[in-house]
Amino acid sequence: MQTSVTPDAISTVLSNPSFDSSSERPEIVVQVVDLKPIGNRYTFSANDGKTRVKAMFTPTLTPEIISGKIQNLGLIRLIDFTVNDISSKSTKYFLVNKCEAVGSVLDSDINLESKSHAEASDPKKQKLEHSPVSPVNDVKTDVCTGITLKPKQEFVAKSASQIMSEQRGNAAPAARMAMTRRVHPLVSLNPYQGNWTIKVRVTNKGVMRNYKNARGEGCVFNVELTDEEGTQIQATMFNDAARKFYDRFQLGKVYYISRGSLKLANKQFKTVQNDYEMTLNENSEVEEASSEEMFIPETKFNFVPIEELGLYVNQKELIDLIGVVQSVSPTMSIRRRTDNEMIPKRDITLADESKKTVVVSLWNDLATGIGQELLDMADKSPVVAIKSLKVGDFQGVSLSTISRSNVVINPESPEAKKLKSWFDSEGKEISMSSIGSGMSPSSKNGSRSMYTDRVLLSHITSNPSLGEEKPVFFSTRAYISFIKPDQTMWYQACKTCNKKVTEALDSGYWCEGCQKKYEECSLRYIMAVKVTDSSGETWISSFNDEAEKILGCSADDLNKLRSEGGEVNEYQTKLKEATWSSHVFRVSVSQNEYNGEKRQRVTVKGVAPLDFAAETRLLLQDISNKNKASQ
Amino acid sequence: MDTSSPSVFVNGALMRRYVGQKVRTVIQVIGSDIGSVVGKSTDDLQIVVRGSSPTPPLTTYLEVIGIAESDNAIRAETWTNFGNSFGTHNYNELCKLANGEFKHLFI
Repeated sequence: MQTSVTPDAISTVLSNPSFDSSSERPEIVVQVVDLKPIGNRYTFSANDGKTRVKAMFTPTLTPEIISGKIQNLGLIRLIDFTVNDISSKSTKYFLVNKCEAVGSVLDSDINLESKSHAEASDPKKQKLEHSPVSPVNDVKTDVCTGITLKPKQEFVAKSASQIMSEQRGNAAPAARMAMTRRVHPLVSLNPYQGNWTIKVRVTNKGVMRNYKNARGEGCVFNVELTDEEGTQIQATMFNDAARKFYDRFQLGKVYYISRGSLKLANKQFKTVQNDYEMTLNENSEVEEASSEEMFIPETKFNFVPIEELGLYVNQKELIDLIGVVQSVSPTMSIRRRTDNEMIPKRDITLADESKKTVVVSLWNDLATGIGQELLDMADKSPVVAIKSLKVGDFQGVSLSTISRSNVVINPESPEAKKLKSWFDSEGKEISMSSIGSGMSPSSKNGSRSMYTDRVLLSHITSNPSLGEEKPVFFSTRAYISFIKPDQTMWYQACKTCNKKVTEALDSGYWCEGCQKKYEECSLRYIMAVKVTDSSGETWISSFNDEAEKILGCSADDLNKLRSEGGEVNEYQTKLKEATWSSHVFRVSVSQNEYNGEKRQRVTVKGVAPLDFAAETRLLLQDISNKNKASQ
Repeated sequence: MDTSSPSVFVNGALMRRYVGQKVRTVIQVIGSDIGSVVGKSTDDLQIVVRGSSPTPPLTTYLEVIGIAESDNAIRAETWTNFGNSFGTHNYNELCKLANGEFKHLFI
């Protein structure tokens, strides 16, 4: 990696009024200093350690500067430039048409002059090799000429105030703050460290929320802050601090922040990857770094393959996704249940290399804005990367944007390139299946995925207080181990409303629900079944539809078999056939009181046959999760 | 259980570790000829299976047990039709686990 400038770069530049990429050229690397915007372009001084000359980037390079590729104090290799005279003065300047950033940004200007005059008199030997593993002969050269320059060194002793006034003049207080305190990278912060200043961009800003709890009422809002390295942290402000800073924090702007406090992040609510979260109070200092726009942190993504989304269903954790757009729906208006407000929504279908597709619902502005953009270009199969999606279980697996989600179309990232080339080469031809299909049982509870909140039976039986306040739901895979033959397995039910009927005095059945007498009734199951898995066993009760699936015949039919009796009892055979078969159950766990004693009651809400491939996938995931945990 | 003649679960890439030994794998049939079947392993490599294949029709997936002759050829002794739908990804992961971390659980 390039760590310094080309010796005498400026004189080389000025003696070659222009060269473009086609001509033979020496390599010219200069340092960018005093970078500042003028109109839509940026000017700077090109520094080769001895000489400086005014220079300017063409407007086409402006994005490179805004994105932080070209930075103040950074090094650039000149590829194409034009030298011009400023007629009114006798000075020259050059226009950079094409260049590339090399090496990392240095801490200060490179200044070779002040260090040694000897080296300047012999520029050919001037070699700036700072790599610690430089070849032996290079080291020798360095030693014999005595030149080992490190860009980080300050060569002239100056007082801090001198440096400040020279470099910043009467800059804004924010700039002074940056000078007086070292800016800490976010990653270095911890709760036990007092005096820090961070320089961060507000990459998300929440709305002010009012709350009411036992300790009173108040308001709160939070922001997500991202620093130059892309590290993120959430900062929360309450009451006075919230009111004080709510207007100051503006999305996308850069601030110096100090005097906040850190604590361990609440994993349950955390939205960014950081072990800590920050609280700012009234005394915290927040100053906008208005003159500096040298960095924009790129959104950091942590992509989850579509195939693995099942693990995140109904979890609090938000995920990032990248995929090729397969289709885009028109916008729909959805009435929000809580306040009856109409919200626009648009569904897009994304696919990735796992050959699975998933539907992502874009809400609000994302539906109308970027959603429309996607609709217009859907035939070109753009790649989209989305930050912060919630994974729900609608149609098996579905994704929704939330207020802080961020959608990027055709991002410039290696993942996007890889995905695009996969799609162009094979992806567009193969047929893909939805990740949600096969994940939802076709029961009434079909919207629930059978592959979420999967537990062993012992998880339910070992915790007697489960479901105390309200029923809790789980999925579990278990064998039917016993169906007691002499239980009351069904009840006489009204054919219209399924409620229990009583035999009328004369004939027929009286339904309390319908307030009507019927000639006929049907039998409906209410059956207790013992289920077993590797961890234990428990009794579950199942109602008609689920019991029918377990037994494979209706209660009326089973009743006929039961009444037949005989030596080879078909009824017994039916029950035996159902035993030791494995199913995936969706169960609810609740408490009910029985003879003054609280008892756990497990009810089947859905039964699905085993999908062996899907179950194996779950097991493989378990194995890899366990391995990760044990490492 | 007969453990006298164990066969190792392999995918295409793992075959070369067991040349000359008895292996077991599942392939997706690409084509068949007299005396050989060409298939795709669960990790998308081409495998040639020699020997007298069972009477057609072959299903899409086929399990074969036999001696690995080279890193992409098997002389099969046992052929089993595995149907037209098969979780190749899962099988491939099984092969990796059975030859890696959990090798001690397999014979």
